[in-house]
Amino acid sequence: MKARALVIVLVFSLLAMACADTGREDDGEAQETTTTTTSGEPVRGGTVVAAIDSDPGQLNPAITTSGAVHYASELMFNGLVALSPELEPVPELAESWEVEDDGALYRFQLRDDVTWHDGEPFTSADVKFSFEEVLLEFHSRTKASVGNALESIETPDDHTVEFRFTEPYAPLLQQLDVTEAPIIPRHVYEGTDPQENPANLAPVGTGPFRFVSYDPGQEIVLDANEDYFKEDLPYLDQVVLRVIPEEGNQVIALESGEVDWLFEVPGPDLSRLQESGEFEFIETSVNPGGANCIMTVSFNLDRPIFQSVEVRTALAHALDREQFLSRVQFDQGRVAEAPIHSGIPFGHAEGLNMPTFDRAEAERLLEEAGWVSEDGGTRTAQGVEGVPDGTPLAFEFLSFPTFSQYGELFRAQLAEVGAEVSLQALEPPVFADTVFTQRDFDTNVISYCNGTDPEIGVRRMYISSNIAPIPFSNAAAYRNAEVDRLFDQAITTVDRDDRSAIYEQIQEILVEELPYFWLVETVATRAYTTDCQGFGEAGHFAETAFCEQ
Amino acid sequence: MTLGYVGWRLLQVVPTAAAILLIGFLLIHLAPGDPVLALAGESGDAEYYAFIGDKFGLDEPLPQQLLTYTGRVLQADLGTSYLQGRPVAEIITERVPATLVLSSTALVLSSVGGVLLGLYVAARPHGVRDTTVSSSVLAVYAAPVFWLGQLAILVLALGTGWFPVQGMRSPGSDAGGLAALYDVARHLALPALVLASQEVAAVYRLTRVGLADELASDHVRTARAKGLSGRRVMLKHALRRPLVPVVTVIGGRAGHLLSGAIVIEVVFGWPGLGRLLLTSLQARDNPVVLGIFLVVAFAVVLANLATDFAYRWLDPRVRYQ
Repeated sequence: MKARALVIVLVFSLLAMACADTGREDDGEAQETTTTTTSGEPVRGGTVVAAIDSDPGQLNPAITTSGAVHYASELMFNGLVALSPELEPVPELAESWEVEDDGALYRFQLRDDVTWHDGEPFTSADVKFSFEEVLLEFHSRTKASVGNALESIETPDDHTVEFRFTEPYAPLLQQLDVTEAPIIPRHVYEGTDPQENPANLAPVGTGPFRFVSYDPGQEIVLDANEDYFKEDLPYLDQVVLRVIPEEGNQVIALESGEVDWLFEVPGPDLSRLQESGEFEFIETSVNPGGANCIMTVSFNLDRPIFQSVEVRTALAHALDREQFLSRVQFDQGRVAEAPIHSGIPFGHAEGLNMPTFDRAEAERLLEEAGWVSEDGGTRTAQGVEGVPDGTPLAFEFLSFPTFSQYGELFRAQLAEVGAEVSLQALEPPVFADTVFTQRDFDTNVISYCNGTDPEIGVRRMYISSNIAPIPFSNAAAYRNAEVDRLFDQAITTVDRDDRSAIYEQIQEILVEELPYFWLVETVATRAYTTDCQGFGEAGHFAETAFCEQ
Repeated sequence: MTLGYVGWRLLQVVPTAAAILLIGFLLIHLAPGDPVLALAGESGDAEYYAFIGDKFGLDEPLPQQLLTYTGRVLQADLGTSYLQGRPVAEIITERVPATLVLSSTALVLSSVGGVLLGLYVAARPHGVRDTTVSSSVLAVYAAPVFWLGQLAILVLALGTGWFPVQGMRSPGSDAGGLAALYDVARHLALPALVLASQEVAAVYRLTRVGLADELASDHVRTARAKGLSGRRVMLKHALRRPLVPVVTVIGGRAGHLLSGAIVIEVVFGWPGLGRLLLTSLQARDNPVVLGIFLVVAFAVVLANLATDFAYRWLDPRVRYQ
């Protein structure tokens, strides 16, 4: 009898869900569908199902830097500019721009043919509102960089917007894409708390796809924006972003045909997918959640062991970074050759004297620094400044659980030169608290994402004012007045070549002093079915995509 | 069972609920990891982190936060999610149907399956049939649930193509009525079966042992001597008493219907409360975590209460004072 009651409950629950309103908006008219299948020629129509690994919770990319939200929402929005694969700004909502007063004034001419998804016209007032009321309040990266330099935003007319800075500000054009500065509608958000506005669950944007429905924990459905300002785009009728939390199951879903696009293929599955011949791949270092990331070892310079540059150099020589690339990253990426990622061509320095894998040199430097090995086991201190004699060369290595393989390899490689490493894997919030608030660590590994400009994700790691309880800032507690000065100079140097020269100078100092050691530049490998083509790398990945019917 | 007893048991829920709230709040807030650091993301500056702490009241002393939270709960307000900016009650409510469907299907399958298997082997204990069923049930019980889930996906979803790999509905599906029911049922089959296969062991073992004892008792022997059919003896005379501990187990499970099955929900991409709890824990979205904790704990308390009352119906010898 109880079982019967439970069956009745179950059937009613299923019926209730079947009849429930899923929040889907009916557009009232069928999409025009062309079913030509000429290979290589764009085909209009069709649906792409993309896997995302976590439920975004809300869909407003202007109030957060959360990768989950940006993956799920960027197709619905635009920035003033987009970034080319070389990170050069190209027109988007702004069709042109001028830089005046040596870089203290940026004047943007906006397109006059853009409408929001609800039919309202897009104007310069939307840009001013998005920055002043939302991005510079809630978007942590944009607030921390642009916000500290901006003097005012003026809108002389509906299609002109001017950013005035207190002094020349070089990185602005790299910070205006849909990831760093998505523009949201003033008429929807004005007078409300942007974090609690109902439009965060049913966004109104200007992007190539417009919102249809959001089933929390399950999927976001987007339809083509028929009034999109870029001619003939998008080609697809619909994009479904499906939440599949486990990465191995994302691969199975791709293989079974349930999804058409993966943002990231796990390393162990990549070769199998490649050999199948059923999928295409795009390798990229740009992600909506963070671009141009380097797996970086931090040495806690407050700890006596790591205050010696010889010790830090020795440990760097003891690490075989090719092994990190092949064994942990499954050859997705490249060994880091500079502190700034090679994906930022104007910031990345070539030909630096980075320590190479040389175990004998590592042992020699450790001996010189006073860390001696008598029986081939763990080294001990003899005459090391600030360290009692007999202290073993033993320290902790902290990582996120997802990076624990870095720890295993780090421990194994350093054991070869007489250093004893103990590993601790901590969940991200605990890791951030331990490393940046309590500063209770010896070494760690962090995926520091440099972003699309060194001002976004490089400066924070090295300037001394960032030795503070700020997550993912200056973990090493590195202090160098010259480096501080050079970073300040780089922000105000608009000329690209001059700015590159400053970053090169900074990187030479960093490689000499090694407050960190840069292991590998990681990349994500996108995978998609061969039935589709034309995909982009990151936020607007489906803007130019099309599929055979 | 008197009305006074029912009232007394219901009154006992009040201090239990208060203790649940206090313990839940302290456990979540004393856990390592600063929610501000989790919420604010990378690349912010000190001013931004102060702004986030202030906005969500995270810079207030813990007793003050507890008082504020308790006051809200007493007004049936579970607070607002840090991450989603929406009422926690709304977020929890929209995940409940998915969790209830999965958990109750698994509960029905495991309960019915466990009792049926118990009946199947009890007539001939210690035989080949008993050994085969007992070892199989225990082997499945001993297998890690994530492994069983992956195996089911690889063999039954990817291998045969009979079932979908992930989710609760087909991508972009806007079907309604019977088509939607069928769609959900197809997606439900694998997660419910895997979850049920883990839970069937307890029901099966209790039924089997209870029935074996009961079948050797005098009143069953008398029933048989009266010439009653084997089925009638089994269902009418032997099964009822062994069902009491089985109901205890099922009642305990029913209390956890809302808590979902975190591993199963993650493996199968099922959009239920268990997955919401996991993602909220990882992001230190404390109001959502605490809200789920309270709702689930309260459901367990009420389910246990209902189970106590159900004893009287199943076993007339039980008396309440």
